[in-house]
Amino acid sequence: MPYIAELEKAGIPTVLIDLTDQHEMVKQEALANGMPNVRFLPASRTLPGPEDVQTWIKPMLEELTRPLTGKEKESGLYSPPQPRVLFEGTLDDAVEFYSQTRHVPDPLDAPISIYTDGLPIVIPTEERVARMCKGTSHRPDEVITYQSDRGQRMFEDVKKGDVVRFQPMKRAATVEQVAVNAVMAGCKPEYFPIVLAIAESGVQTGTTVYNNQWCVVSGPIAKEIGMNAGLGMFGPGNPANSTIGRAYQLMATNLGGAIPGINRMSSLGSPMNRGGMCFAEDVDSLPPGWLGLNEEHGFRKDQNVVMVMGTEGGLDAAQFSPGGYRAFQKSGHGGIARRLGVKGQPGPHNFLEFILPGIWAGGREGARTFIMVHEMAHHLYEMGYKTKHDVYEYIWKKGLEPLSAYRNRSWVDLMTNGWMGVDRQSGIPWKELPEDHLISVAGDKPDDNCIIVCGSDEEVCMQITGAPRAMFGFSPFYSIDAWK
Amino acid sequence: MARSKPQADRIYKCLNPVGTQVPVKTYPLAPRLDTIDGKEIWLSITGEPDITIALERQLKRDYPNVNWRMKKTYMPVQVPLSEEEMKTADAVIQGVCW
Repeated sequence: MPYIAELEKAGIPTVLIDLTDQHEMVKQEALANGMPNVRFLPASRTLPGPEDVQTWIKPMLEELTRPLTGKEKESGLYSPPQPRVLFEGTLDDAVEFYSQTRHVPDPLDAPISIYTDGLPIVIPTEERVARMCKGTSHRPDEVITYQSDRGQRMFEDVKKGDVVRFQPMKRAATVEQVAVNAVMAGCKPEYFPIVLAIAESGVQTGTTVYNNQWCVVSGPIAKEIGMNAGLGMFGPGNPANSTIGRAYQLMATNLGGAIPGINRMSSLGSPMNRGGMCFAEDVDSLPPGWLGLNEEHGFRKDQNVVMVMGTEGGLDAAQFSPGGYRAFQKSGHGGIARRLGVKGQPGPHNFLEFILPGIWAGGREGARTFIMVHEMAHHLYEMGYKTKHDVYEYIWKKGLEPLSAYRNRSWVDLMTNGWMGVDRQSGIPWKELPEDHLISVAGDKPDDNCIIVCGSDEEVCMQITGAPRAMFGFSPFYSIDAWK
Repeated sequence: MARSKPQADRIYKCLNPVGTQVPVKTYPLAPRLDTIDGKEIWLSITGEPDITIALERQLKRDYPNVNWRMKKTYMPVQVPLSEEEMKTADAVIQGVCW
């Protein structure tokens, strides 16, 4: 949309074709980019292309010649009133006020909360917000800016000191506004530096993609504030995990203006995003030589970081309870041992051998985040994988397949720019590669993959599509210490 | 700061969780064309080939008097016109469909 605005400002008339249910999103983005009357025509999600084009090709060209209306000739300033105090009244009345919903029309056609995630909140009284602000040395009126150079995001440089613009409405936020959301989520002041670091990410929600938002904390702060990195760290019960995860979603709603059915268009939505998801890695359970996420990504072991992820695709868990994994490792019994040909042989065995390359069979290609219990990590270590990198190398090689097979995967047209680009693995243009050329479906390079060790003993290994180094080169690691 | 006990009948000031909408200067649309005949019109394509291939084909077939120019990518961000190209461009059709 910024491009359309730039063209129109330069005197070049435009018309935009987008899908029919994205009209509200287009209007919002057009307004946020200073061109509120952009001419837009909807294409169909269901008609075959040639048939669809027939229905709007003439109107589309008319949009380039039909004279401007009075409204389309207007200029002005969009600056909606934004009171610091949103509501005054009793706490009971405030509960009702913050629980307001709006009806979002088709394709959603249901009420959606205006200020919340649909659940009751802690009312953000001035006093509570002031207490939350004590959790950081940053001033309440400080605008949230990037605390370090971030590289490129969507082809634009992001530098230290740049104001964080919360998508989709490109809003800015102060420390106090983040604190309001943290209070609403139920956070304690000692969690606040983590919430601020998450805010620095801009709390993206994606538009028309199946986007899972989740955060993982690495560093001593996780223990200091009582985060759960052990059994059930994804599940309910831990105040820090639950409320920090929830704060992400409230910030997306309020700071970014993300509204399901308007500008947050994931068809199914993700269960990860309903209550928010944050957990900690269990750095104490890492095998010797395996680095924690902070050290793996350029920070020190004593530094606190949060990895803020928006992964697009599946969530898959390889269940090995009850007893299957135990039998496999202890004595080579059971189906896992039979498939791997180690029947009757005591472990350690490589469980990844059992699930690879199958994890790419049904879902999307690309790097994965493996969230594994420490027992599995230690078995890999005992098998000779002395670093995480050794495991990444193994995973990447297991993902090799011929180009002829790779062509049939889900996002390859996008990631290869319609096969017009260069294969990042070999450096050779796609069009010059033979069909038997081997491509790894496990990311451009081994280290695109990610291992997080946490949870309890046996039971499960979870794989999430996407990983920190596979996010178009934009680091998802944010310093928590910078926000203390 | 001392934590006071919530009181049922007390009036509280409750703060706004909504982010700051940085004021946006809004602009008029560019003047439209008197006709498309003889004009240089760019079709800027980002994805959704099912629609854009048919569109490109039909535009060239049914509107031969237009000087059709193309920018294509499968990526979500379009390939922008260069400064030189903007000097002669009369209009742009942005086929997003993402």
